[in-house]
Amino acid sequence: MDKRLLDILVCPVTKGPLILDREHDELISRAARLAYPIRDGIPVMLEDEARTLSEEEVEKWKDAR
Amino acid sequence: MDLSSIKDAYRRYARHYDTVFGPVFAAGRRMAVQRVNTRPGQRILEVGVGTGLSLPDYRDDARVTGIDVSPEMLQVARRRVEALGLAHVEGLVEMDGECLGFPDDHFDAVVAMYVASVVPHPDRLMAEMQRVCAPGGDVLVINHFASTHPLVRRAERALRPLSRLVGFRTDMELDSLPELPDLHRVSVEPANLFGYWKLVHYRNGAMPLGEGGGVPEVQPVDQPG
Repeated sequence: MDKRLLDILVCPVTKGPLILDREHDELISRAARLAYPIRDGIPVMLEDEARTLSEEEVEKWKDAR
Repeated sequence: MDLSSIKDAYRRYARHYDTVFGPVFAAGRRMAVQRVNTRPGQRILEVGVGTGLSLPDYRDDARVTGIDVSPEMLQVARRRVEALGLAHVEGLVEMDGECLGFPDDHFDAVVAMYVASVVPHPDRLMAEMQRVCAPGGDVLVINHFASTHPLVRRAERALRPLSRLVGFRTDMELDSLPELPDLHRVSVEPANLFGYWKLVHYRNGAMPLGEGGGVPEVQPVDQPG
């Protein structure tokens, strides 16, 4: 995914920051507790397509960025 | 009309969209792109970028982001960007125009071509477009609006039950685009096909003194009479 794009994307639900999970190709919104998938290099910023984060995951990304 | 029926319609369209719809919408697309191509280095958001038909027309020094709800259409757009080496396209994102994942005041221009009749809530679309548009920036909407001619209007109403199938409303009123505070309508012009489609140009933010009332508004060509 283009770095320039990553810099401008925010969570569509909370309008808060996102963290890139390179390992799973997901964009993490801690505030919304959602992980947005990146499919074929295209971020899918739709609430309905996002995965709900577990408590552990929310904790895990606490100190990122 | 909901998001899944929109996605269904455009999944069916994706392969043949350029052949079938490309020529019909070309003039309007070019007109809108010309409007936002005025200054160097502009940040531009295209809502409903679809197969990316307009992307080659932006200036080389623009910074264009395109969004769409249809992954099939976006894949066509991505292949176009790669094949033509369009370096001014910063990204393509699957995103809902009514719920944008961009910061406030980010873009110099926000364009939505043939989108307002498609989305379930045009008022939310317009509010989001305004939110991500910088003060003084341009918001451009190309859309088909209901005819003022009684016979055409009747035909458009009759087609309404088909809207789920074709993926857009056939009888949207120009005045049903919401009036938002500080989003000023600068002009309304026929975009193509005898004004069946119209280009509506808004400016975001307070208007300079003396410019507010006297904006030229092109009348529809099919006045009843």
